[in-house]
Amino acid sequence: MSRFNPYGDSSGGSSLAIAGADFAILAGDTRHSTGFSIDSRDQSQIADLGDGLFLTSNGFSADAKQLVDDLRTQIKWYHHNNNDHKLSISAAARTTMMLLYGKRFFPYYVNPIMIGMADDGTGAVYSFDPLGSYDREPSRAAGHASELLMPFLDNQVTFANQLDPQTGEPRKRLDLDLQTAVDLVKDAFTGAAERQVQVGDTLEIVILTKDGVDRQYYDLRRD
Amino acid sequence: MTSIGTGYDLSNSVFSPDGRVFQVEYAGKAVENGSTSIGIRCKDGIVLAVEKITVSKLLKLGANKRIQTVDKHVGVVYSGMNPDGRHIVTRSREEARHWRDQFREQMPIPTLAANVASYVQLYTVYNSVRPFGVNTIIGGVDDEGSHLYMIDPSGKSWGYRGAASGRGRQTVNNELEKLDFDKLTAAEAVKEAARILYVAHEDNKDKDFELEISWVTEANGRVHEFVPESLLAEAKIYAEEQLDADVEG
Amino acid sequence: MQHTQEKWGRPRDDVYGPYDASYLNSEPRTQTLQPTVTGTSVIGMKFNNGVVIAADNLASYGSLRRFIDQERLIKVGSETVVGVGGDVSDLQTIEEIMEGLEISESYDEPAQSLTAPNIHSYLQRIMYKRRSKLDPLWNALVIGGFKNDEPYLAFIDLLGTTYTAPAVASGFGSYLAIPILRKLVDREGDQQNVSKEQAVDAIKEAMKVLFYRDGRALDKYSLAILSKKDGKPDVEILKDVRVENQNWSMAKQIKGFGTQDE
Repeated sequence: MSRFNPYGDSSGGSSLAIAGADFAILAGDTRHSTGFSIDSRDQSQIADLGDGLFLTSNGFSADAKQLVDDLRTQIKWYHHNNNDHKLSISAAARTTMMLLYGKRFFPYYVNPIMIGMADDGTGAVYSFDPLGSYDREPSRAAGHASELLMPFLDNQVTFANQLDPQTGEPRKRLDLDLQTAVDLVKDAFTGAAERQVQVGDTLEIVILTKDGVDRQYYDLRRD
Repeated sequence: MTSIGTGYDLSNSVFSPDGRVFQVEYAGKAVENGSTSIGIRCKDGIVLAVEKITVSKLLKLGANKRIQTVDKHVGVVYSGMNPDGRHIVTRSREEARHWRDQFREQMPIPTLAANVASYVQLYTVYNSVRPFGVNTIIGGVDDEGSHLYMIDPSGKSWGYRGAASGRGRQTVNNELEKLDFDKLTAAEAVKEAARILYVAHEDNKDKDFELEISWVTEANGRVHEFVPESLLAEAKIYAEEQLDADVEG
Repeated sequence: MQHTQEKWGRPRDDVYGPYDASYLNSEPRTQTLQPTVTGTSVIGMKFNNGVVIAADNLASYGSLRRFIDQERLIKVGSETVVGVGGDVSDLQTIEEIMEGLEISESYDEPAQSLTAPNIHSYLQRIMYKRRSKLDPLWNALVIGGFKNDEPYLAFIDLLGTTYTAPAVASGFGSYLAIPILRKLVDREGDQQNVSKEQAVDAIKEAMKVLFYRDGRALDKYSLAILSKKDGKPDVEILKDVRVENQNWSMAKQIKGFGTQDE
């Protein structure tokens, strides 16, 4: 007799983050699916943790929800214990790692991405694996279309393994301006929605700058 | 009480030579001075009512409820020490919840009253504890019909048609005895309860009070709840009218 | 002679064979490995003023139509209905948990009214907790009610997975009913243009398709209509609703199995 499998294939579609010199972007589609069935077209997967932190966790969505609840609890206690001191993104990332590794032997089946503004005013993207390994990165994609999105980001954001045609030297990573980054996000998701059935419906983009938070929505393929 | 001071009133677990347990009797004294509460078992359900003396103008009206729900079909009201009463309510709720978990049925009210009474009785036989300073009136409707019990600090539990406890109990009992419980409907009983509490309050006229009335009836689906605002208002008007009529007549 | 102490007093290997310790290394014990008596799909959709939920009255034992009057819609509080698919004994557990919740809430003064989001959250925590103990409640739940006077509709499964949508369905319903319901409410907000009558008709149509195509469905079902009247919730649960205007003429056309003349 087969054993009960506590993990399922219910998930949000895909998400993606880009860090700039003075901004950070987190984007995700609002499709929630189980297998090939669309459960909901309007399930936001971007969690507002407060303190200017936003999180997506692609993978098994019940675990993702639990991780967000855990993090919110941790942040609430951090505020209680520290006179409402703002939790920095580096500390929030560390906390996320603690929560993930705390379930090392019954892991949360998720790939979280967190954005925020770092202490020095630069945009920050932190990404994690399900067990808690984490790092700050210029950009990251996760979820069903991560294999489609990530190479695009490598090519357009980090210019990985590209030579400058003029000098023949390895091409240096530029700090993207915000508009270019947002356009990249839109193109990336339009492409992902074209080829990945779990991605579509609506694209939700959270843009973080020193001035605050901006949310934008764009239509994606709905089939 | 001639035996006061003879040393037999210090402990629960000691009888006096004339066969009394003084601590239990003293607990009864706490009840006698408590606020007046009433239970009425009528044709189609039960009604609970309590006179809540306004001890301070700073207290919020309608807050600090004195009648409480034990299970869907059971309500409780008490006279005496409020914290003791609340503890009895908590214990009653545990009893009722335990019964549900065990048998997947609502607890029969006679059984609930008996179990709560047993619990109260335990606090009369150990010298490490004191008895509860409350009279508890338990009322509700179950499959066997409507039930009304009153438990005193000794753990005595008797079933009643009409029960009264607290400061105005004598007056209330006199009035209750005039009622025809077989014909009385719950809606009428609500009005009578209000009237009787107003009558009983005459001896204590200098103090303001609030009225709390709840019921469990066949018509409301055997659910313990406070009577609707409109009915309560109606009952108050009826009570005042009757009181005025008595004064004039 | 056996020389080591731990062997003393034990059956002799040369007579009884070596001790079989394999049970010590077997799989850990888990709780529910499969559902037994089950209910099939639950479906629900929003309309401009509320929610409609339906679930049929069949409790199957495998392919056996075991109980044909199983109620699978539970009213919780005064303005919420929970539809339950999956294991019926777990349904009863959920029923008891909900009743316990109602009683605990009635202790509070003034009594709090449980809303659909409250109940949704509570049930999600229970379902996720049980799956994390590898002892799941084998159900799919549809929760219908209101959030700040707006219709609220949510889904939870045995893993604690959850989402909200203007049309939800469990089991076969997600393949057969959802396309019918999404004709009216595809995206959030579409319910503004759907009347109660349209919603009820769509749900009835979906229940009909489910009865035609789902071998574990029944043509007798319960239909909950939750609406707001003058800002007050109105919950109507219609029982013993029948699938109407059935047409089985096509059954004669189906060939290729069973005892047939040709």
